[in-house]
Amino acid sequence: MKYQQELKDSIRKALPGLDVVIAWSAGYDPLHATPHFIRREEDIDRLEIGPFSVHNLATYLPGLRGKKVGIVVKGCDSRSVIELLQENLINREEVTIFGFPCTGVVDQTKIRKALGHTGKVDFCQIASQTVVIGLGGEEHKLRLSKVLADKCFSCQYPNALISDHFVGEKISPSVQTEGDDDLEAFEKMPMDERFAFWQKEMDRCIRCYACRNACPMCVCRDHCLAESRDPHWLSQEDSVRDKWMFQLIHAYHLAGRCTECGECQRACPMDIPLLLLKKKMNKEIKELFQYEAGVDPEATPPLLSFKMEEENINEREW
Amino acid sequence: MKIGVFVCHCGSNIEGTVDTAAVAAAAREFPGVAFATDTMYTCSEPGQEEIVNAIKEHQLDGVVVASCTPRMHEQTFRRTVERAGLNRYLFEMANIREHVSWIGKDREANTNKATELVRMAASKLLHNRPLLSKQFDINKRVLIIGGGVAGIQAALDCAEGGLEVILVEKTTTIGGKMAKLDKTFPTVDCSCCILGPRMVDVAQHPNITLYAYSEIEEVSGYVGNFEVKVKKKATYVDWDKCTGCGICMTKCPSKKATDFFNEGIGKTTAINIPFPQAIPKKAKIDANFCMKLQKGKCGICAKVCPSGCIDFTQQDEFVTEKVGAIVAATGFDLFDWTVYGEYGGGRYPDVITSLQYERMLSASGPTGGHIKRPSDGKEPKNVVFIQCVGSRDKSVGRPYCTGFCCMYTAKQAILTKDHLPEAQTYVFYMDIRATGKNYDEFTRRAMEEYNAKYIRGRVSMIYPKGDSLLVRGADTLMGTQVEVDADLVVLAVGADSSAGAAGLAEKLRISYDSYGFYMEGHPKLKPVETNTAGVYLAGCCQGPKDIPSSVAQGSAAASKVLGLFSKDKLASDPQVSVVDIKRCIGCGKCIKTCPFGAIKEIDFRGMKKAEVIETVCQGCGICTSTCPQGAAQLQHFTDNQILSEVNALCQF
Repeated sequence: MKYQQELKDSIRKALPGLDVVIAWSAGYDPLHATPHFIRREEDIDRLEIGPFSVHNLATYLPGLRGKKVGIVVKGCDSRSVIELLQENLINREEVTIFGFPCTGVVDQTKIRKALGHTGKVDFCQIASQTVVIGLGGEEHKLRLSKVLADKCFSCQYPNALISDHFVGEKISPSVQTEGDDDLEAFEKMPMDERFAFWQKEMDRCIRCYACRNACPMCVCRDHCLAESRDPHWLSQEDSVRDKWMFQLIHAYHLAGRCTECGECQRACPMDIPLLLLKKKMNKEIKELFQYEAGVDPEATPPLLSFKMEEENINEREW
Repeated sequence: MKIGVFVCHCGSNIEGTVDTAAVAAAAREFPGVAFATDTMYTCSEPGQEEIVNAIKEHQLDGVVVASCTPRMHEQTFRRTVERAGLNRYLFEMANIREHVSWIGKDREANTNKATELVRMAASKLLHNRPLLSKQFDINKRVLIIGGGVAGIQAALDCAEGGLEVILVEKTTTIGGKMAKLDKTFPTVDCSCCILGPRMVDVAQHPNITLYAYSEIEEVSGYVGNFEVKVKKKATYVDWDKCTGCGICMTKCPSKKATDFFNEGIGKTTAINIPFPQAIPKKAKIDANFCMKLQKGKCGICAKVCPSGCIDFTQQDEFVTEKVGAIVAATGFDLFDWTVYGEYGGGRYPDVITSLQYERMLSASGPTGGHIKRPSDGKEPKNVVFIQCVGSRDKSVGRPYCTGFCCMYTAKQAILTKDHLPEAQTYVFYMDIRATGKNYDEFTRRAMEEYNAKYIRGRVSMIYPKGDSLLVRGADTLMGTQVEVDADLVVLAVGADSSAGAAGLAEKLRISYDSYGFYMEGHPKLKPVETNTAGVYLAGCCQGPKDIPSSVAQGSAAASKVLGLFSKDKLASDPQVSVVDIKRCIGCGKCIKTCPFGAIKEIDFRGMKKAEVIETVCQGCGICTSTCPQGAAQLQHFTDNQILSEVNALCQF
């Protein structure tokens, strides 16, 4: 990543005033990165940004309230930071934001689908449009566009929307809308087919709550309705009904708040298309309130305000 | 829990289409139900005794009554179970009349539905908890907003009842619209002569504090303990010193100021006392027209004022008043009739509003009580009145009837003949609505004794013809077109909600209809209450009404305030939201969405938490649906109580 050194310098300058800076470093193999918590100067050298910087680090912010935290964000991650600021879940003066232009991150599921379970990975090189992965002495070439996450194809915010330090040149947003194909296809389905679709998908859920834990906007944590008796919304039964109900509660709680970072879907070990649910909710919100989550720190999310009368909801004479 | 279920026949109202005995039999199988029976009239005295006896005999600790809507008898049965020693919230009602027996004829289906409603109620009851209300002190002072006739009546009645009254009036004098009228129907007595003494009473009453030329800036608090910030607008005259002598008005060189009191019929001076009987009789400078304030030159009023009260540097002042109840009596404004292009849209000087005509008729008005055409000052021969201008007209978005225009038009027709015996009056009307005491007789007098020509139909066009106007309309009784030569046209303009009504409603946290009129608590049974405890309505702010009705409502609102203050402490409704501090993460979403400002942020051992102010909370439940983790719970409608109802109904 060409701006990596610039980013490191920027962090080095700011670190004395901060308790921690959250970034990414190399993970357990060349195909994975891992969240990296920089507390001392020597930690900075291990920082790596690139197509494997998949994690939305904003998820950590609410838990670090009260500390001076630096955070490195992609465009999509910055929307989560904005949403957290709007909801008073973090304090602006406690957070230092480092932004960079993001050219897309990989989807591990796509790599797995292309190569099967990889086992030990020898190396991974990314040239401009290709990814070369070394497995057991063999080289596998993949087109970069085949392994990038869907959300990156329709990304409208590749540069951090909010930052204190921005490294590199800002790039223009994607013009493709390939990523929304799944939503369009879903909306074409008749109702009973949609029902059957979700029934099938939700049946795979193992209620591990990885989706919830990865979600930057899921801030209830220990008080999640999924595991509470009072109020007792869900039983612990292993039924599609309860599993689906949980996902619906999650989607409803994110309506107009979800920044579509896709962490829920990335974290899901069962590959349930969870982002689809949230995209559908956000689309409805956008049509109803002309609102997009996590874009303007000064805006009030529509479902977090009270109005006597809404412009687009006709409550009379119908 | 041991639950008793009582299924009411309501005579044949329910039993006619529901097998109540079968419902009771089915109820005996529900979890927790220890006793179930059907009774003829549960709300009757023997019916209630049956409940009390069953509670004692079977040691019941919860009761379900399946009968009518809770709006009718929930209070009745709550008191019944309380008499038997239970907490009133260990009672649930299933509505099997309005929701079942009255809306379907299929006895079997009705019986099944009634059974399910009882199952839901019993299931919720299992999760109910005893709730207790709290007592709190009240401040026995009342704020009345608006000094028209309704506000004056409310203020005097409250003051006579021994309450301290704060009366806030937007303009420089009380009296409202009634003070502008020349005479009142159906007695044709002088408006200012009957209102004047009441206005003086307000000024002199030791219990009334009057803030004229003031507006409500902010309202906080709750029933019994409101805090109101009042903005006293700058008048540039020190009212403590002003004696109302009026010398300033005679000397003021700026004589082109808008005369609001006279509805723009004439012009007035920049420093002005609106009319001789004004209360308080104090001068105010209209800053838009004052040469000293606009250009820095003049100051003649300051030189001639014998008491030295002119103060060109005066600023708006704010005072805070603590009150226990508020009466909104903000009145109405005239509909903006210039939207009617066919009546000239304001381009013809001789087309005026009824209120302008009223000022013209008044001896204290700009013409000294002479009817003169605004265009040339000549006396009109033909005066045409057009009713329902901005009333009963969907095309201008005002489908409602203002209600008093028929009467004042008849009055003005009579007065026209009194002033100008040679004149001929015409009235274009849709229907004559004269339903008050002596009202119909009055309109008949206008037609029969004063020879007003009533034409049933609407006017399609007014256009100039020479130096007069031609009024073209339909006579729907004759089925013909009519054209009338008019020297003066008077439009009976309907009532609109007062300018700024919506803004004040939001400060008072009361609701208003799509026209801006304030919503009463119940159209029949709570005509002067609002849905916000401690806030009452009087007069036209609730909807257009004539003087007798406005006065009656002023008195009614006062009696409600006196009733409220007859207690030394108020009991809070325990059906309010409560935040579970353990679950609260302090995000404050509930604070943002609460329409009543009933949730505040607190610091709990260094953590931010939300806390409900019990007395302010109205129990709407928006916070409970906002809070993602269910920390905010509405008592008596908790998630678990509602979920148990859902689970009872949706079994699979």
